[in-house]
Parts: sequence; structure tokens; C-alpha cells
Amino acid sequence: MDVGSSVPAEAVFEPLLQFEMEMGTFLSEWQHCDHLSTYLARMISHNRADPVRHSNFFSSALNELLEVSFRGGSSSGHIGLAIYRNGPTERVQITFPCPPGQIPFYREAVSKIDRSDAHSRYLDAISTDMAPSRESILLDLAINFDASIRIEENTSPAVTLIVDLPLEGLVS
Amino acid sequence: MSVAGLSPNFKMAFDANSQVFSLAGIIRPRSVDEIADSIAMLKQAIDDVRGVLYVDVKRLIQMNNTAFHAFVRVALDACRARADLRVVIVTSSVVGWTTRMFAHLNQIEPQITVEVYDSTFYPGQSFVEDTSFIPVLRAQTKMTWRHERSILPRHGMRPGIAMADICCGIGDFAVLAQKEFQPARIVALDHSKPSLAYARKVAADFGVTGIEYTYGDASEMLLEDNQFDFVTCRHSLQIFNQPELLLKELYRIVKPGGRVYITNEKNSHCLGEPRAQSIQWTYNELARLLSHFEMDVELGPKSRRYLADAGFDDILVESFMVTNLDGAPQDFADVIAGWEKMFAAMAARHGEAPEFIDRFRQGFRDHIFAALHPKGYAGWPIWAASGRKPL
Repeated sequence: MDVGSSVPAEAVFEPLLQFEMEMGTFLSEWQHCDHLSTYLARMISHNRADPVRHSNFFSSALNELLEVSFRGGSSSGHIGLAIYRNGPTERVQITFPCPPGQIPFYREAVSKIDRSDAHSRYLDAISTDMAPSRESILLDLAINFDASIRIEENTSPAVTLIVDLPLEGLVS
Repeated sequence: MSVAGLSPNFKMAFDANSQVFSLAGIIRPRSVDEIADSIAMLKQAIDDVRGVLYVDVKRLIQMNNTAFHAFVRVALDACRARADLRVVIVTSSVVGWTTRMFAHLNQIEPQITVEVYDSTFYPGQSFVEDTSFIPVLRAQTKMTWRHERSILPRHGMRPGIAMADICCGIGDFAVLAQKEFQPARIVALDHSKPSLAYARKVAADFGVTGIEYTYGDASEMLLEDNQFDFVTCRHSLQIFNQPELLLKELYRIVKPGGRVYITNEKNSHCLGEPRAQSIQWTYNELARLLSHFEMDVELGPKSRRYLADAGFDDILVESFMVTNLDGAPQDFADVIAGWEKMFAAMAARHGEAPEFIDRFRQGFRDHIFAALHPKGYAGWPIWAASGRKPL
């Protein structure tokens, strides 16, 4: 595990934190998702206007992204997480190795978020799915956390999700 | 009950009498199988209720989508199977994501509604959160601080500790505590957004950083168990209709061995000379009036009992008298003038006769007269008490 702050980011986003962990270690314990999201949320929320509530909100969103990585990731390589800030928005950039055949599914799930029927598909997922799909989780982030989400292509068999979370406005 | 394999902070319960199924804490299962007991309990609760099932998620701190989908599915299926059933989900305005997530359910199933447990959470709250009262609150803190700065160390305040000021109001006590005692951490919580906005502005204006102001319900706090060495809750148990609920939460967040410090008044013991009789009459009536708003402004001397009943040991109780001689008599007079305005409005709200209100106001004016009289004396007694959470 490595925590630092040296990842290059877009000019307008200030890097707050970078985290990396061997995927095998990450996948060894489901509670890593809860512990990491709680801990990292506290760290980056300390100087928000309402640190307790910002941390709670942020942890909720980050945990879902970590759980997506946990469920869809493969055991070789590393999971990388970087958090940036621009004004009221935190950007989460999460990269995790996954089977090459899975990547198009992530791409498709992300592409559906901005469609006009996103809300109705989210309601449909809540009312019919026994367990949440990766698409419904991304829809949850977009609809309940006002997140904007995009996917970045990698040369290696990995997925990078970039999720902007304007939570400071929601909390305040 | 708690569920094995999940966070020890997760709790669920069903109260058959009030038909309330409550979920609290953190629930982030990997699969539905891990929460099978909880799902079964919800199904049983639905089978048992007639009419309305209340699902209380006010203290649900975290719930992942796996749990959300599973619980929601049960509620939706039940509503589809039973036309007589209504489900009311009670969220908290403090935990923003719960209201957003659960609010969608009404669009799917009209038998499910979502209520946000929010602003009018104790009787009389609108009076004490009136922003025009802020100068009075500031003057009160200025006057009580002269006493409390020497009292607090006896109750456990010291440099380097983690402290929380619950029901912090406009946050001025937290600022004074930080300057005087340099705790390592201060969390200041209140349920009034205007008061917190004021608190943040004051802190910014004075270059005070490091106080974590947070919006929260003192009886259902997001703060985790056993976090603080010292927890203060000043002048608040007396205006909350269920002080034992607040104390339960204060007990929960303080560390074993840490202390909870409370201050409360006994308003009927406010006094002044000259014009003692008029002053005495008004403050006796004030205590009676506020009891109609479920406020017990006579609570001060009961602090020992409340702390003991909440489970604290090593209880310390002392009292002090804020007087017109502490500083500028005009400060004291300004506070009483603020009280007259606020409490006269409450008397009118309660339907008291104009003659009563005139006499009621006169007692405050006589208190001011005593405070400003060159040979006068005016007092406002306060009880400071603290208890230790057993190790």
C-alpha cells in the first residue's frame, strides 16, 4: 500500500491523494472496500465546510467504486486510486486490472449514463434487479451523487474510471 | 440485534407497538446472503403490521447498493402483494444520500412515501434558532465564559484532547475553547444551518481554523462511538424535550474514561435587587411557560440525576452565578432585554392574556433596572456538571 500525492492531474484539479495496492491483497478481504472508503473519505474531507457530512457522502460514493473494482477486478497487478479537487468537486480516478473481455461492458455502462432514459433505467433497475449491476451502480452515482463519469482506455487489460463528484454543493 | 459478519455498528430492530422497523449504522454486505437474517426480519415485520410500516433510516450511516436493492425489493414486493400496506421511510436531513436514494421509491410505488426528519425536531426550536437572537447568544457566552474558563479544567478540559461541542449554536464557545485550551481536535455540531453559517463566518473572520462545524441532529449523530475525550453540551438539555436521548448520544461518542460536561439553568432562581418580587414572579412564570413548550429550564440541579441515569460515574456538579458585576452591567441588561423579547413572543404564542404579558415583561425590565442600578445586583444562576464514562 502506498499513499502519496505525486500523480499528474489536469491543470485545474489539485491532487489530494494517491493510493495503490496489490490487487491480490485488495481482493483478499471484502471489508477493504469499507475500510478504504471510510479512511480516505475522512482524509480528503477534513477541510471541507462540513467534514463529517462530506466524508459520509464521499465514502458512500467511493465505496461503490471500490466494490465495482472488487467484483470485476482480476487478481494480478495493482488497483490505483487518485483523488483530486477542483472547487466543490472531487475527482476520483480509479484503475484496476480486469479480464479484457469485460472492458466493453464497462464502456457500454458508462456510455448509457448520459442518455435521456437514464433515470427510468435506474428506477427499473431498483424495482426489478435482485442485486445491483455495474450499470445500476454507475447510474446511482450519476443520479444520487450528481456524478459525471467517463472511462479511459488503457493499453493493459485494465479499466480506468474517472468520476467527478460535486459533493460540497450537495452537502452544504 | 447485530448481524454476524457485518459491521458491529450495524443494528436493526422492529418495534411491533409503533410498527417501526429501524436500520442503523453501516451495512455494506458483499452479497444478499450476508443480510439474510435482516431481510427475514423485515419480511416478518411486514407480515405483522397493519396499515403503515415505518422504516426508520435516520441513523443509517452507510448502506451499499447490494443492501439497498435487497431491502427495497422486499418493500416493493410487499406493496404489490398488499394493497392495504403503506410504507413510510423516515430519513434524516443530516445524511444526505439516504433521502436522495430512497426518494425514488415513491416514483416506483406510490404506497411508499419518504419523510425527512428535519426542522421541527423539538418544540420551541424555531424560537431558539431565530437569527435575531444571535447577539444575545454571543453576550451570554461572553458572560458565562468568565466563569467557565476556570471551571472547565476541573471537569476534564485540557490541551491536546479531542473534544466535541454538541448543540454548539453559533459556535462561539468552540472558538473560545480552542483559543484557551488548544485541543487537538474540535467538532462542533448543531441542527441549525443559519447558526452554523454564522459560526463558520465568525471563525473565518477571526482567522480561526481547525474547528469542524457540522450539521447534525444531537439525538441521532453521525459521529462514531468512543471518539472524544471531552464532550460539551451547554444550555441544551434544558430546551430539548427528551434530554435523556441527548445524554445517550453524548455517552456514546465520548471515550471510556472521557467526560461529558453539561450546563443548564434553573430560571426560577434568577434574582435581582431592587424590585426582587417582580423579578421573582416573572422567572417563576417563565419556567411554567416554557414547560408548555416541553422545555425544562429548571433542569440545572437535576444534572446529577440525569448523568447518573445515563450511566456516568465520578459525577461533579457545581453552580455559578453570572451577575451584573462580572463585566459591563450593560451586557447583562442586553441579555435580559433579548430574553424579554423572545419569551414575550412565546407567551403570546401560548395564548397568554395581554395583562399577563405586560406583567411578565415588567419582571424582565425590573431585572434590567437592578442590573443597571448603581447599588443594584442581578444574577443568573447556572449549573455546570460532568460525568465520566466508565472504563
